[in-house]
Amino acid sequence: MAETPDADKIIKREPDAPAPDPITSRSTSSILLVCALLLTAVLAWALYDEVYGQRPWKSVQQTFIQRYNRHLRILKRRGNPTEKEVKESAEYQQLDQEAKTAAAEVAPRKNEIVRRVKTIDAQLAAIADPFQNARGNITLINYRIETASSESAKKNFRENIDEIRGERVEIDMPEDGNPEKTKEVELTFPQIEKQYNDLKAEKAKLLTEQSELLKESSELAKKREEYLKDHLVGPSAQTIDALLRKNESFDFSMRQINVTSENVVDRCETCHLGTREPIELTPAIMKGSRRTPDRLARAFVSHPNKELIQIHDPERFGCSSCHGGNGRATTDMEKAHGSNKHWLFPLHKKENIEAGCQQCHTNDRVLDGAPTLTLGKDLFQQRGCVGCHRSEGFDREADALAGSRQLTRQLQDELLANERASRQASAEVAGAPDDAAAQKLLARAESLRVTNSQIEARVEQLNTQARYLMMDQKKVGPNLKDVRLKLRKEWIPEWLKNPQAFRPGTKMPTYWRIDGEGKNARDREREENERKAIAAYLWQESYEGKVPEQPQGNAANGKMLFETRGCMACHSSGEPGGEVGGDFAANLQRVGDKSNYEYIVRWIHDPRERWAPYSPALKRDLTREDYATRNKPYVFDADHTKSPLDGSELQVQNMTVMPNFRLEEQETRDIATYLFSLTNRTAYPEASFMDDPNLKPEGLRLIKQYGCAGCHEIKGLEEEQRIGVELTKEGATPIERLDFALLTHDAERGIDPHDPKKKTGVWYNRKGFFENKLATPWIYDEGKEKEPQDMLRMPQPFLNEEKKWRNALTTFLLGSVGTEGASVQPSLFYKPTDRQKDIQDGWWVVKKYNCMGCHTVQVGQPSMLAGLPLYTTPEGRAELPPGLTTEGARVDPTWLMSFLRDPSLSEKAGGTQPVAVAHESAMKPQSSTTTNRSPQTTGTAQATTNSPQNTSPTGALKPQPGENRNGVRSYLKARMPTFNFSPNELRTLVRFFLAVSSQQEPYIKEKLDPLTNEERQLARALFTSQAAPCLKCHITGDPGHDATASAPNFLQSGERLKPGWTFRWLLDPQRIMPGTSMPSELFKRDGERWVFNGPVPEQFSSYEGDHARLLVRYMLQLTPEEQRSTTTTSPAPSGGNGSKGQVAATAHQGLKTSPAQTSGTRRNARGAQRASRGTERRGRRQTQVSSLRLRRNVRA
Amino acid sequence: MSAKRARFLIMLFAALCLLSLAVACGSDEEDDVAEDDEAAPTEAATGVKYTPSGNEGSLAGSIAFEGAVPAPKPISMDADAACSNPGATIEDVVVKDGKLQNVFIYIKDGKLTDKGQNVAALAFDPPSDARVLDQKGCQYTPHVIGIQTGQKLSVTNSDQTAHNVNVQAKSNPQFNQSQPNNAAPIEKTFARAESLIPVKCNVHPWMKSFINVMRHPFYAVSAGDGKFEIKNVPPGTYNVVAWHEKLGEKTQSVTVGAKESKTQDFSFAASGATASFSSSLEIQPALDFPMIGKH
Repeated sequence: MAETPDADKIIKREPDAPAPDPITSRSTSSILLVCALLLTAVLAWALYDEVYGQRPWKSVQQTFIQRYNRHLRILKRRGNPTEKEVKESAEYQQLDQEAKTAAAEVAPRKNEIVRRVKTIDAQLAAIADPFQNARGNITLINYRIETASSESAKKNFRENIDEIRGERVEIDMPEDGNPEKTKEVELTFPQIEKQYNDLKAEKAKLLTEQSELLKESSELAKKREEYLKDHLVGPSAQTIDALLRKNESFDFSMRQINVTSENVVDRCETCHLGTREPIELTPAIMKGSRRTPDRLARAFVSHPNKELIQIHDPERFGCSSCHGGNGRATTDMEKAHGSNKHWLFPLHKKENIEAGCQQCHTNDRVLDGAPTLTLGKDLFQQRGCVGCHRSEGFDREADALAGSRQLTRQLQDELLANERASRQASAEVAGAPDDAAAQKLLARAESLRVTNSQIEARVEQLNTQARYLMMDQKKVGPNLKDVRLKLRKEWIPEWLKNPQAFRPGTKMPTYWRIDGEGKNARDREREENERKAIAAYLWQESYEGKVPEQPQGNAANGKMLFETRGCMACHSSGEPGGEVGGDFAANLQRVGDKSNYEYIVRWIHDPRERWAPYSPALKRDLTREDYATRNKPYVFDADHTKSPLDGSELQVQNMTVMPNFRLEEQETRDIATYLFSLTNRTAYPEASFMDDPNLKPEGLRLIKQYGCAGCHEIKGLEEEQRIGVELTKEGATPIERLDFALLTHDAERGIDPHDPKKKTGVWYNRKGFFENKLATPWIYDEGKEKEPQDMLRMPQPFLNEEKKWRNALTTFLLGSVGTEGASVQPSLFYKPTDRQKDIQDGWWVVKKYNCMGCHTVQVGQPSMLAGLPLYTTPEGRAELPPGLTTEGARVDPTWLMSFLRDPSLSEKAGGTQPVAVAHESAMKPQSSTTTNRSPQTTGTAQATTNSPQNTSPTGALKPQPGENRNGVRSYLKARMPTFNFSPNELRTLVRFFLAVSSQQEPYIKEKLDPLTNEERQLARALFTSQAAPCLKCHITGDPGHDATASAPNFLQSGERLKPGWTFRWLLDPQRIMPGTSMPSELFKRDGERWVFNGPVPEQFSSYEGDHARLLVRYMLQLTPEEQRSTTTTSPAPSGGNGSKGQVAATAHQGLKTSPAQTSGTRRNARGAQRASRGTERRGRRQTQVSSLRLRRNVRA
Repeated sequence: MSAKRARFLIMLFAALCLLSLAVACGSDEEDDVAEDDEAAPTEAATGVKYTPSGNEGSLAGSIAFEGAVPAPKPISMDADAACSNPGATIEDVVVKDGKLQNVFIYIKDGKLTDKGQNVAALAFDPPSDARVLDQKGCQYTPHVIGIQTGQKLSVTNSDQTAHNVNVQAKSNPQFNQSQPNNAAPIEKTFARAESLIPVKCNVHPWMKSFINVMRHPFYAVSAGDGKFEIKNVPPGTYNVVAWHEKLGEKTQSVTVGAKESKTQDFSFAASGATASFSSSLEIQPALDFPMIGKH
């Protein structure tokens, strides 16, 4: 307010004052001020941005240290008492005491040594210089002598040396007792040299003595530390303290992995500091002030799979190699994670993280630690994606076959060329200028002929390979040349319309283009017509003929067989939602609704039995007439694979992976009858149009267009190429080349393609493209104007576990980037050799035939059967097929090869087979309706089986390739089927099992020391003693006993088992195969040897050897005679009287004994055996039906 | 422009600068989390220790069997002469005078009246005495046993033959050990509650027993006359389950008052839960592989 008068004055003066000077009257100070302040602000901002803005990780690191320290302090508070407790425990105290006593005992001598060594060191130090000086001088003069030109000079130098050697040097030598004090001594060079060497020798001796001396005490100290480690849960106090100290001096700076050779620069760990911390960090531990873990907490965690980063050392692989993202970026998360536009390798989302593995592990069919990716590959192969889309590695047989055929052609050209050259050379001989030249020409002609013979050998090999590869080639879907034989005519169009409606979950995808659900009437009509045309073509282009009539079987027995033989490892039954069984192959609930009974019987009997052979050379199926023209019988099977017309290789079996269970014909009828009893025949609309030949051309065109031949064998389209895009590098396709079509904007803006009002998050990326296409294949055709034939052809796959399967397939696609598209340098790709390669190759075969449906192949992998209700009961668990995790270490590979070829081991029957009277079941009767076989029918059966004519008109099926039993585990109801592996696949499988168990190849059988008579008696006594349960479960060859046996015959062990494995198995079978019926603790340790853990026969009192090893030698060298003597001496089973068959077991009450069993002669015994087998079979059936009925889990 | 105005601007700017600085610095500061937040044990609580209040009652009753009594199924033990147990029958359904033996009755869950604690969440000290499962005459005695977590199980062999003790636990470590005649007892403890662990002997396939591991001592097995009694039951309202290996399980809600001797009977029907092929079981999920081998 005081200013007001002044203001008045100014105003008053105004009239006579000069016009205001803009320079003086208007101050620019405020502008300047603003500018200055702005400048300061900018400077401040620049400084701030330099320190924090450009380096956001600094504050992240601070936060990390803060949270980490907090956690460490908590751990320290919690952890200390436990460590104290352990240290106070009696055991620790004792160990501590022992360690200290041991240390104290040797302490005086140790101190003495230490003191002496200290003195020696000092003395050595004192004389080292003069000694080395003199020695250097002498060496120098010696050199001069060598190079001197005159004798006199040499003499001079020699004198020089003598001078040096004689010179006395003064040394301040530390005293022996007190190295601090020195004593002056005068020594000549030889004296110095001697002393120097003596001191050195003494020191070495003392140090050796010291380490010897401390050995015991340091071992005890180590034991003490081990004890502490074993009993401490979590990190020790020292570890925590060390970490806390490390954090105190934490260097707030960029963390960088730089691998120049692999072009990796990854700074990920600048923020992700917890990745490799020794303490497991979780989001809950690293959370901030809020209750739930924030973004940073999730960023600070440890790597979730320590084993993975041990294999893939980050110092070598970096992070972005596997995870994607931009390893160099540090300014913000979006850039570092590569989610910004145009970055080629965005970080893989969590659900697709295993896509990173695929880049390097393209050829691994099964990848440990990558279950999602492995599932993706499973689906890609098993669900038939591979039928339309090529992906490198998946066409193993087709690629190899094409390669070998091409090479054969090249070699044949070469053969001709050589032949020509050879002839030419021979022709030139006559006109040769001299003998030398003539001989040279002759030699050339000869060598060309020899070369040709080598090439011929090669061609022969390739032809063999081609035959094997044709055996190995499989199709995803059934052979459609069989439709007339197999299917109900009216059912076909219904199926084509919507396969999922008939059989939910089937591999056959929905061809939405022909399902008759089009948008308008015109579309619907077109779809309907297309469907009709396709059905008509398939119907008309099928094999003519009729599968021989079959009588009905016994459904109850069929049900038992279906549920116990192992069908359910691949197939399921049950209505939708209640399916039980595997999903590797079809659900068979409604198979009776669609197919002919006779065909199914024939199929179960031998799925590989083809109706007519196919000739790739002629591109058609051969007929009976083709064979007749060459006067050859119409026979084609694994032994008759050559075409009668041109000798080329034929496809002689159905291209299915389904194996042959070697069932009797009656059994196959029972199973088929059971399957047909599951459903009623639905009435389908009449379909006479399928006989209209006018529809055929259109049908052929459509079948080609939709690529049906990718999965099915179809007449006229056997050599058809795939119709889909190759997916080998699909994951590396630039985003601009993925056609989002009209949905591009939706994708960029993150709008749900199905509901414009919903936001889904941006999906303009490969992941979004793949996922949406898998869910709705036609999605990118929406709203486009296209002719029907130009529209997208991909059918809608049925994803049973939708989200999981889609993630798996997306992961597989995202990872399929090819060599150029990988964010990893090719030098880092996984290219295994030797064993690892054998494992890699083996998985393709294991997965192809679904070995894991019945067996545990990988540690911790349950088989499909193990999860079925039948096998979860205690009785059921004993019925599970054996685990194969140590198969390579267990069995002799030669044996394994023969077993895989014929799992019934029919050829080896002879005396070794427990259940078998050889050839009996091979001559199966073609009996009528009952399971009881009458001896009279055997004769007629022989007549039919003797003629191997394919599908002979009499209605008999071909004989089975082996006997109706398991070769080793004849007691199991689940059957190891005959897979008809080609030698290629046999080799691959055997190598796989060897490699998985780290076995050497080839296997050279270990020679076992033969047993002395004494040893044999000892072993036999133990073997048959009451305390040793061996013979109670293992097959002995005594039919009465074997009816309830539950373990293999020892007679097979010699040929089958490896001694080392057998020894380890005896000691602890549960360790090798958890859950096995064979108990542990059979032996106990006694010093260096293992002795039987129980009362042993008297003779053993003087036996010094290892009991387990003795038994191994006994078992592996068991002879049939010896085995007979064990069964007679054994107190356990059936003393050979009439009650033989009644051994135990709840379900065997109905089992009647045969009076014939008491008879003595060999011939009668054979009859008895057969009779008892009959009763046994009946008894078994009862077991299976009653006690092993699939049971509902009644767990609380 | 007046100096006053300039001063004001300077002040304002300075204030803004300070403010922004404060904001910038402040954002770096990690708010200190209360340590107790994490210190509170996050892993599954070991539970509050149970203390008896002195008001305990008891729960007793008997198990009736309705319907046609299945004929006893004799076991033929000819396979092993050392078994010598004539007249032995399969013990899956043992009925005497309409009463059912070998039924396992236990408190599944429920609340104590006093403090409202859930009995299933309380912690109990394991009894110091061992539970004995004997193999005698090639049969297990008893056929059904209950045992507390941490309590010692002692499997003995009174036969003059070798047995193997195959305990197929799922949530506890499974084991299968040979036990020859005169061998020392096999001693084990179970760390986790698990019901219906089947025990079998592969040498003598008819031998079968069930172990029920309980966290608490409130269980009983029905005797030959079908009677059972659970003692020292704290007052509360519980779900009591009676389980039978062949006939399934029955649940009843039972309230036990202070010092009350409660009676609760159960009854199983012959046709009860017959084992059958169930279609409600789900298909095994895709396999999850752990790692084997290294590169």
